[in-house]
Amino acid sequence: MSEETKESSSILIWLTALSFLIGMAAIFIYVPTEQMEGAVQRIMYFHIPAAWLAFFSFFIVFICSILFLWKKEREWDIYALASAEIGVIFCSLVLITGPIWARPIWGAWWVWDARLTSTLILWLIYVSYLMLRYQTDVGSMRARFAAVLGIVGFLDIPFIHFSVLWWRTFHPPPKMISPEGLGAGMDPSMVITLLLSLGAFTLLYFVLMGQRIKVEKMKDEVERLKKEYLYTN
Amino acid sequence: MNNLEYLFAANVFVWGGIFYYLFRIKKYQQSLQNDLDLIKEAVEKESQK
Repeated sequence: MSEETKESSSILIWLTALSFLIGMAAIFIYVPTEQMEGAVQRIMYFHIPAAWLAFFSFFIVFICSILFLWKKEREWDIYALASAEIGVIFCSLVLITGPIWARPIWGAWWVWDARLTSTLILWLIYVSYLMLRYQTDVGSMRARFAAVLGIVGFLDIPFIHFSVLWWRTFHPPPKMISPEGLGAGMDPSMVITLLLSLGAFTLLYFVLMGQRIKVEKMKDEVERLKKEYLYTN
Repeated sequence: MNNLEYLFAANVFVWGGIFYYLFRIKKYQQSLQNDLDLIKEAVEKESQK
């Protein structure tokens, strides 16, 4: 890694830490407690950004998978794999924080409504994507199969978004992006806090991507050197 | 109605998940770096023979 890359990576890490610090201050100090739900409503500032990050990660998987199938360059395969792993981590956090928030409000940890079920399906699709990546050992075929799954899996995301509008669900409809306008159904302090949290999570995505891509490149380097060493001996 | 224990639990999972993932990546990087150093050392020794 060049000195310049190291420096920009360290700047990004510090910027992310700072934005999380500001975000946490906004969540726990600045934003007032919601009158109906109480303090537990503050889970929203983790739940929505985690969902955003999961969807964004899978969108990157979708784009990089298309580019990999088109250009057949390992670089795109690395980006897709790194992004899928991050997406699964944050989709898991959505599926954990959702029920924790739902239990005191709905009186149930889980209901099989369209939004929750389609999110669980999304998680299962990308977990199987990762299993395909880690378990199968068929070289470039593995990357191609995974790329197809990465593209098909993304088709579930518009379904998840519109599920709360198409069907009657326990899950509330989007308040941040509503037909009345951006954040129209929310108090301005809540919109600001949510935007700060969204910003911090987005920066975290780039930090994690940088580190995860580095792992894949190091793995490639180990493989290359091993082959080179065996070839010369 | 505050349900602070639920808020606490959600925070534990979010932060625990993020830090565990970062820790795992860092550990993997260290192990790969060790492999790289070992291979480079072996190649160097071989070329000196």
